[in-house]
Amino acid sequence: MRKLGDVKNAILVQAFKHWPWLAERWARHHQFIEGKDIPWAPLRKPVRESSIAMVTTAGVHLKSQTPFNMEDPDGDATFRAFPSNANTADLTITHKYYDHSAADRDINVVLPIDRLRELRDEGVIGGIAPTLYSFMGHIDGPHLNILMDETAPQVAELLVQDGADAVFLTPA
Amino acid sequence: MGLIQRIIEAKGIPTIGITLQKEVTRRVKPPRALSLRYPFGYPLGEASHVKQQRTILLDALNALQTITEPGTILEPGYIWRRHRFD
Repeated sequence: MRKLGDVKNAILVQAFKHWPWLAERWARHHQFIEGKDIPWAPLRKPVRESSIAMVTTAGVHLKSQTPFNMEDPDGDATFRAFPSNANTADLTITHKYYDHSAADRDINVVLPIDRLRELRDEGVIGGIAPTLYSFMGHIDGPHLNILMDETAPQVAELLVQDGADAVFLTPA
Repeated sequence: MGLIQRIIEAKGIPTIGITLQKEVTRRVKPPRALSLRYPFGYPLGEASHVKQQRTILLDALNALQTITEPGTILEPGYIWRRHRFD
């Protein structure tokens, strides 16, 4: 049965990639945790003086780290942390719910590390926070509670400790 | 992703996220978003397309400074594989 599920998933991945309106239609009929009040933290200093952090849900991690769990149909709410000065050749992606063939060739498609380094070198941003954080964006069922109550707050706390002045987030 | 973004913002750090699903983002309500009509898996555009990736990243960083209304979703309107990033 798992094989059949994988085939169905592979078809959906391609369908959503080629016909994004399908995903919009799906979204209209899907239940989400909807936001009420919108949290707001003002930018404390200009971007050119800010230490910028990045968080992605594209399933990026170091090749040496444990991959995200692809067996659980509800996904994996854990995260991976790795140094922002990591060699991009040491990164990989574990995520079967989107087409990452382009990101496999160039990680900047989902996590623009090289572009951010260029902006730092040019003085457009003040710096890059020491650690990057990555989730695997397919999270559902009971794992949503783990994400909301445990792992996402942990990452938020780590970002504070890292001295991040602003965070740029990328989906898959 | 918007849920994680909201939790980070609530901790006191300003955030900006790219969204490829405006409909979802409108409902999840992160504080600031940059919406692109790009396929899943391509939030910064095409592989090895440095100018495109740079422009989108700069758009996001600028949005950190220009968005003043919580829940704003900016749409630069780039057309997938047709916009010229020169």
